[in-house]
Amino acid sequence: MDYSHYNDAERAHILKLLEQKQMRDFMKFYSNLVDRCFNDCINDFTSKTLTTKEETCIQRCTDKFLKHNERVGQRFAEYNQNMAAQAQQNLGSRSGGGGWFGGQ
Amino acid sequence: MSFLPFGGGGSSQQTINQQNVAILEQEYEAVTETFNRIVDSCFKKCIPPKYIEGELNKGESVCIDRCFSKYIDVTTKIGEALTKKGQEAGARTGGFSV
Repeated sequence: MDYSHYNDAERAHILKLLEQKQMRDFMKFYSNLVDRCFNDCINDFTSKTLTTKEETCIQRCTDKFLKHNERVGQRFAEYNQNMAAQAQQNLGSRSGGGGWFGGQ
Repeated sequence: MSFLPFGGGGSSQQTINQQNVAILEQEYEAVTETFNRIVDSCFKKCIPPKYIEGELNKGESVCIDRCFSKYIDVTTKIGEALTKKGQEAGARTGGFSV
């Protein structure tokens, strides 16, 4: 993000806000992942401990989701870059072009 | 100002423009929200919940890329349709409404 048109007080305030939001987003991400892998991997309640099979499933589910998240992140970054480049190109001819994602 | 060699707390004199901060906040929320929705939708559509391996296989990877592209297309298309509707309504009433 571009902070150049914010003053120091605003920048400090924004950084603090972002930090809070990132913490909140991480907790959301964590519980979302637990939810997903628990629901997909754990269906047998004849024992109260995780079986080896369940543990393997959880491990793979986690790995797969993280890789999935990373891949979507790559596509997302590419898309944002393209949109930013396009907006730059359109700057003279047409105002307001570009994506609705803003730059990261 | 912080680049001057005296006085550490220069920033305390500056005021925070809440509106600017709110705009940035909204943008952050919109970007994260969109990203999370895409991750959620495409995981559901592309990854079978069997987890035979921890890696993404070729088919899954291709599916994710296409899913992403389509999600963006759908967002754009619906955005255009809504904008058009809004403009039509705006032309009639002079205000924006869908």
